[in-house]
Order: sequence, then structure tokens, then C-alpha cells
Amino acid sequence: MVPLAIARQTVREALRRRVMWIFLICGVFLIALGPVFGFLSPKDSQTVLRSLGLAAILLAGLFITIVTCIYLIPVEIERRTIYTILSKPVQRFEFVLGKFLGGFAVVFINIAAMGIVFLLMIRFQEGKVPADMYKGVFLTFFQMMLLAALTIFFSTFATPVLNFFMSFGIFIVGNLSSVTESLTTSRVKATQVAGTLIHYLLPNFGNFNIQNTLIHPTQEITNPDVFIRQNILYALIYSAVLLILAVIIFDRREV
Amino acid sequence: MAAAISIQGLTKKYVDVWQKQEVVAVNNLNLEVQEGEIFGFLGRNGAGKTTTIKMLLGLIFPTDGDATLLGKPMGDNEVKRELAYLPEETYFYDSMTGWDILDYYARLFKIPEPERSRRVQICLEKVRLQPDAWRRSIRGYSKGMRQRTGIAQALINDPKLLFLDEPTSGLDPIAHAELRDIVASLKDEGKTVFLSSHQLADVELICSRVAIIHRGKLLTEGKISDLVAGDYAEVVAQGKELNSVIGQLKEFAPGSEITGGDTLRVTLPDDEKINAVIDVVRGAKAKIISVVPHKRTLEDVFVETVRKEDGS
Repeated sequence: MVPLAIARQTVREALRRRVMWIFLICGVFLIALGPVFGFLSPKDSQTVLRSLGLAAILLAGLFITIVTCIYLIPVEIERRTIYTILSKPVQRFEFVLGKFLGGFAVVFINIAAMGIVFLLMIRFQEGKVPADMYKGVFLTFFQMMLLAALTIFFSTFATPVLNFFMSFGIFIVGNLSSVTESLTTSRVKATQVAGTLIHYLLPNFGNFNIQNTLIHPTQEITNPDVFIRQNILYALIYSAVLLILAVIIFDRREV
Repeated sequence: MAAAISIQGLTKKYVDVWQKQEVVAVNNLNLEVQEGEIFGFLGRNGAGKTTTIKMLLGLIFPTDGDATLLGKPMGDNEVKRELAYLPEETYFYDSMTGWDILDYYARLFKIPEPERSRRVQICLEKVRLQPDAWRRSIRGYSKGMRQRTGIAQALINDPKLLFLDEPTSGLDPIAHAELRDIVASLKDEGKTVFLSSHQLADVELICSRVAIIHRGKLLTEGKISDLVAGDYAEVVAQGKELNSVIGQLKEFAPGSEITGGDTLRVTLPDDEKINAVIDVVRGAKAKIISVVPHKRTLEDVFVETVRKEDGS
């Protein structure tokens, strides 16, 4: 119950931050502009709406997740509200878990809001919502959950600015899994070792991107249900590991 | 009476990596605070008071030593159910109302409804925060109102042991007096209060015992009545015949001296012999300039103790 109380408070505080609303409004605005761009673009309007909508959810979700989660723990330490919390019967793991759950809830609310607008636009333009579109939004949500766990992990020891660059950088590298995979077979030993470490240790954010198959019906995933289940499991396990590491570090941190 | 706080050899050292120096914030502190007493923990800024409290609460970790709170190891999560802490500055989520803040902290103690709302109301009433402010954002609170809310949050779990760090600093005289009275009333409820403060007059008024810490080292501790013992009186007189009675005066007060040829200054360790001194002075046809009784205060004790340690 204690983590839920902290999560509830975290959501209340996060929803008061203007910067989060700015990213959300930008995301919704971009999605809503989909039909206009479709009309202006030489490509077919269905492709434009789908690609623009999913990209807007991903981009806005990325910034919302990072700017929300980088501050969750540092701001409690900086404002010293953490003194009052940790002097109460609150274990440090409960605090970290509460912060993660709060951040996760904020990300969920935002992705859900943008997702609803996106699906409504698809319905408006195409007359129906293909099931694959739900999957696209759904996987973006789990991708952001993993990013939230990564950002919370960094926030137990890094400053918000440093955290921003580390989380953002790892998200970019993690999206280039085809590149990092090619490094694992490099002829140069050092590059091969570095590539292997990066490819297997850093979270593979690229696996969650199924936009291409959703936008272009000719590209298919052989077994989409297994693919989605594996990715969800991957996000859950990787997030759990990151949170355990975050708790271990925060448990030793003086506040 | 059992010890509410028992500290053995508590030490906190910080290492300055750049200057390769070791800073000792708290040095081998040994202290016992009995249940039901208001204990004053005194020291200058940076003396190690807040560091000690933070170690006891598990916010930072000691380099050495140990402590028990209410018979359980410091930092123990279960013992925190019986504790309360008011930090030096009251830090809140400014967008929340006083009621919401207390409700949030009550949730951390897993206090269910409707008990939670009842406790929030009792605490806000106890600290005399005006009811029209309960549902207002803390952003608009005055310093006194914030401090009242801070004390209210400390009382939300009906604690047995409270750590109050400068609860009355920076308040106007009325708020200061009211909050001091609230702290004093905690003793009547059988609570133990560990009060860190610079307000020595308050401490003298409401605490039974104190400890003085300086540069992390415990200099003295004891009952206030014992520490301030040693009142004295000073008699100053003027007259040309005083030289003839100085020997007689030194029998009462060995420190008697004549300065400037005709001015007598007598310091008496107590005021019982004042009349005898005055009789002798009058017998020498001298004029009494002043008779001043000096009462030692906790401030005198604090200043003397710290200066003695500093060698000044």
C-alpha cells in the first residue's frame, strides 16, 4: 500500500508539470494533423496518418517519459521532502517502487490519451480501426515503460541533466539494434567486444518498433502474437532488473 | 525509566576527495535520553546536530557506533511507526493543501479511513491552524502556518518519540510562543522529545536536560538546573576608607578588590552574604554604587562551554 500512496502522490505532482502537457499537446496536435498532411503528401493518406500518428506517440511519449522520470527522485532529495517520507515507516525499495509506479502511470495516461486520439483519427479516415493499430500503441507503451525504468535507475545516482543525456542516448542506441548487431560480427576484436556488450547489455528498444509492418501491409511479422508476447516479457523482465539495481543503489545512498 | 534514545560511540566522517581531508561531523557521541523527557540538543551551526538526527533516522549511515530508539536499532522500519521528525525547514509539496499533506503522510502509516480523516483533523486543530486554511494550497501559507503544518504531520501517527529540529526558528513572537507551548504540551502526553534548537531561552523553559555538542564532540550534558547552578552577586562601592576593611571583606568574598584607589568590587558566590558586605561597606562610610544579582542562564553555560573548548 505504501508504494501506491507514493505513486498516487507522484502522479499528482507530475500532472502539475507544464512541460509534460506541452509534449502531450504537441503529440495530439501532430496526430490530429495527420489527415491534413495526408491530403498534401504524394503518398496515400492512410500511410501518412499511420506513420505520423505512431511517430508522434513515440516522440511525445519519449520526451514525456524522460522529463517526468528524471525528476521523480532527485526533486524529492533537492526539496528535502524525502526526509519526511523516509523518516516514516517507508522502506527505500517502497519509495523507489512507488516512484516508478507513479511515473509508469503518468506515461500510461499520456500514451493512452494520444493513442485514443490516434485510433479515433484512423476510424474517422478509414471507417474502421485495424487490430494491428492497437498493437502499435500497445508496444509503444511497453517501450516507454522500459525507458521509465531505465530513467528511474539512473535517477538514483545521476543528476537530472546527466540522466537526460544517458537515457536519451541509450534510447537512441537501443533503437539501432540492427547496427549494434552487425558490430558483434566485426573483424576488429575491440569493436566486436564493444558491439557485443552494447547489443546484449543495453535494452533493445528497436524490438518494439513495428511501425513499418503496420504502415506497409506488405511487410509481415511471421508470428505477431509470439513477437508481441516476447517483447512484453522482455520489457517486464528488463524493467524489473533495472528496478532491483535502482533499489540496491538507493539503499546505500545517503539523503 | 527506560531510555528512549541510547547512543553509543556514534561517529560520522566525511572524506573530501579533492582535498584528501577527513571531516568528522560527529565524533564518538554517547548519549541517553529517557522516556517522557524533553531533551535539548544544543550546538552552533554545523556542530553535528542535524547529522546526528539524520543518522538516528536512517537517512544517512554512521561511520561507526550504534544507537537504539525505543529499544530497537536505529533505522529499523518498525520503530519508525513510533517516531516523528520535523526537519529544520519544513519542506512540502507546495501545490498541496495542508489537509492533503497530512492525508498523504497518514497513508504512509497505512491509517485507514475514516480514522485517517479524524487524525488529520485532530492534528490540524492541535497545532491551531485556522480551519479556513486547511483546504488551501500550502504555497500561500506563512512561515508560521507551514511550521504548524510541519508539527501536525509529525503528530499524525501519535508518536512516542519526536525529533524536532529548530521548530520555532524564524517565527513571529506570537507564533513562536504558541508553537513552543505546543512542544511543551507533548511532555504532558508522555511523549519523548529530542529538541535541537538555537532558542536557548525556549530550551531552558521546556527541557529538563540538555547536551551541548561542538564540532561533532559532546562537551557536556545534564540537568539544566545543575548546569546553570552558580548564581552570583556583585557589589560595587566607593569610598576612601575601604582600604581599611578590605581584609574583613575578603573573609566573605576572597575575590574582593579595590581599583582606582577607592572603588571596591566584590563578587559573592551567593547572595546570602550581601547584607554582611553592605554593613561592612557602610561602616567604612563608603557609598554603595550597585548591588547586582547575576543569574546564570543556559546561554551563559552554552557560551562558556563552547568558548572554553575553543580556548578563547
